[in-house]
Amino acid sequence: MTAQTTPRRPISFREQFLRRKPVVLKPVHREGEELARNLSTFQLMMFGVGATVGTGIFFVLGEAVPKAGPAVLISFVVAAIAAGLSALCYAELASAIPVSGSTYSYAYHAFGEGAAVFISGCVILEYGVSTSAVAVGWSGYFNELTHSLIGWQLPHALSVSPIPDLSGTEPGLINLPAVVLVLLCMVLLLRGATESATVNAIMVLIKLGVLVLFAVIGFSAFKADHFANFFGSGFAGVSAAAGTIFFSFIGLDAVATAGEEVKNPQKALPRAIIGALIIVSTIYLAVAAAGLAAKPPAYFAGPEMGEAGLAHILKEVTGNSFWSTVLAAGAVISIFSVTLVTLYGQTRIFFAIGRDGLVPRRFTHVHPRRMTPTFNTTVVAIAIAVVAGLVPADYLWDTVSIGTLMAFSVVAIGVIVMRRTHADLERPFKVPGYPVVPILTVLVCAYILYGLAPVTWIIFGVWTAIVLGFYLLWGRHHATLNTYTSDDEIAEPSGRRREDEATR
Amino acid sequence: MSLLVGFSPHKDDHCAIDLACQLARSGGDDVTAVTVVPQGWPTPVAGATDREFERWAAEEGGACAEEARALLARHPDVASSSVWRAGRSVPQTLLTESTRLAARAVVIGSGPSGPHGAITITSKGERLLHSSPVAVALAPRGYRAGTDARITRADVAFRGDDASWSLLDRAAAVAREAGASLRLLTLAVRNRPMYPALVPGGEDMVFQRWVEQAEAAQAEAIDHLGSIGFAPEELEGVVATGRRWDEAFDQLEWTSGDLLVVGSSSSSIERLSHVFLGSSASKVVRHSPVPVLVVPPGRAG
Repeated sequence: MTAQTTPRRPISFREQFLRRKPVVLKPVHREGEELARNLSTFQLMMFGVGATVGTGIFFVLGEAVPKAGPAVLISFVVAAIAAGLSALCYAELASAIPVSGSTYSYAYHAFGEGAAVFISGCVILEYGVSTSAVAVGWSGYFNELTHSLIGWQLPHALSVSPIPDLSGTEPGLINLPAVVLVLLCMVLLLRGATESATVNAIMVLIKLGVLVLFAVIGFSAFKADHFANFFGSGFAGVSAAAGTIFFSFIGLDAVATAGEEVKNPQKALPRAIIGALIIVSTIYLAVAAAGLAAKPPAYFAGPEMGEAGLAHILKEVTGNSFWSTVLAAGAVISIFSVTLVTLYGQTRIFFAIGRDGLVPRRFTHVHPRRMTPTFNTTVVAIAIAVVAGLVPADYLWDTVSIGTLMAFSVVAIGVIVMRRTHADLERPFKVPGYPVVPILTVLVCAYILYGLAPVTWIIFGVWTAIVLGFYLLWGRHHATLNTYTSDDEIAEPSGRRREDEATR
Repeated sequence: MSLLVGFSPHKDDHCAIDLACQLARSGGDDVTAVTVVPQGWPTPVAGATDREFERWAAEEGGACAEEARALLARHPDVASSSVWRAGRSVPQTLLTESTRLAARAVVIGSGPSGPHGAITITSKGERLLHSSPVAVALAPRGYRAGTDARITRADVAFRGDDASWSLLDRAAAVAREAGASLRLLTLAVRNRPMYPALVPGGEDMVFQRWVEQAEAAQAEAIDHLGSIGFAPEELEGVVATGRRWDEAFDQLEWTSGDLLVVGSSSSSIERLSHVFLGSSASKVVRHSPVPVLVVPPGRAG
């Protein structure tokens, strides 16, 4: 099928809301410069571990344990299953529609403009708000580190947000370290800095190292009493905690999108996704179990866990600050890289949205010398810095989870819809166990979504209304699909060569 | 107007002289080769050793100037002269001399240590590039130009920013004088992707837009050049990219009359009107297989 030319006649709002973007692929690589299919399954698995570990585990226990008690271990398993299933569905959609720009773009191609706008709101939560959340978490470890290294830390007013959080910490003025971290990452991105595969590998080792350290020391203080009344919080507690924890598994989808770089995606992708998931879950479970082994569930609700929680537990278990300082240092270094990578992701998603004309075109302007989208990066980073400076993390985590779960549910439904509407589309990777896996994905996501707090739903509703409002007032009138005259204008850069790639 | 050649003695340095004569032939200039020899101590009363040193320097200078003169004689159609000067710093003496002669460019070679056919910026060249108020032309090592060689095409390193636009007019002036055609080159190394790449194709998307912008800027520049009198067949634009600089350069074809014109950095904090190579420009210079003319910003060629 070839992409059709523009409908020149005025179209109704309903048509516009439902219209899909045609898939037009244009190779951007010269002959011989295409992506080499040279990743092994193991490398891909490690890639997934690296992209996943670290986003949430350093902060999430203080949020999740109070909700579920010792059964938080079950919540971890539930969140892991949801993440694994979602990643499989995500992999199929990514291989069927090989375009840039993540879930947002898949939705535009598979469901139409309205769904794409809804999803764009979700992915801004997945990337943008998670950058803020990670920066806030970093701030806690940063203060812990300066405190234990030089006995000084920023005054309370400058390290806590002005909005009161749920655990009753006294509000401050601004979370300055979080703001500074985001702005530093902005400067790096503006200059075109990227994190190389080697640096990424080092960061992964640091993260894994300090988490294993925590687990070992935590278990040394094992008290079985802490696991008493295991299901005290009931299933509601388990699902609520799973919602918060889900945030820690974001990044696993990165494996799904790397399908182009392996020789046999049908075999390699599920192995890599499930392998990475098992490794990540094992580490998370070990950390959670070690935390519970060392401290009673009630401890996790206290202010001690609010900032640099894992470091505080280590300090209390060992009685000195050496190991907690090591952990804080590891967290400060590795979470910095997580912030950089997620901020980068958010700018590129905005870039994709800007390309479609749904946000102003300036977001796609690339600096001629630095070859980076400077306006985009500056605006996105400042917005994220403002959120990081003003909003406490408890509100952010669940918001990230709801956005991501929504996006993943849409992806899973998308797999089913695409199988029906585009049965003959080439799919280098197909979900095993269709249709059970996508249906199960939707069910698990729905279960976790159901457990999220009403306030999270309200935030999500307001945010979605803002996004849709902006679309109705502005984006609708400026969409590229309104005016494009040739396929070149909407062509997607493609790293792989395939005949007959266009579809609609 | 004249061109000044920095001649290094005893290094069989014909490259700079060949390039200078080629440029002079194209622009109707004369060429002055300058050899710099060490200056004696400025003592009030020169001792015997000082005098001996001065004598040696004068002999040396004379011999070198003669060597340069012989090389210049291979280009009989170009008006040329060869002199020697005593000075404590070669680049500084060349600059003083270029001011005195009101030279419009200083031409230097690549020294004997770099790879053949490539431009190596020597320590003296580096200093010259940092402080010259006039354009600096660099010849690749082993560069040869025949007795009728001219500049037939000026390649402008152009990337669509403000500095490129001001460079464009000066490169156009160079091309106009030489009767050469103009080729706009936008050269770049692709940004490396971020690991882990959470957004598939994120960097490809940005890169594709960058190429589109570069092509649009070239088209605009070609329109502008057309409006100031260049014929369409004299104008060309190429965007060449690669994962490394040499890959980007590998995509270009070159002829023996090519002269690559690059602008010096506009963000030089020292003296804004001076030549100073930015990071991309210096990469371009080091990878260029043809002679390069580095021009300072904001001053007519």
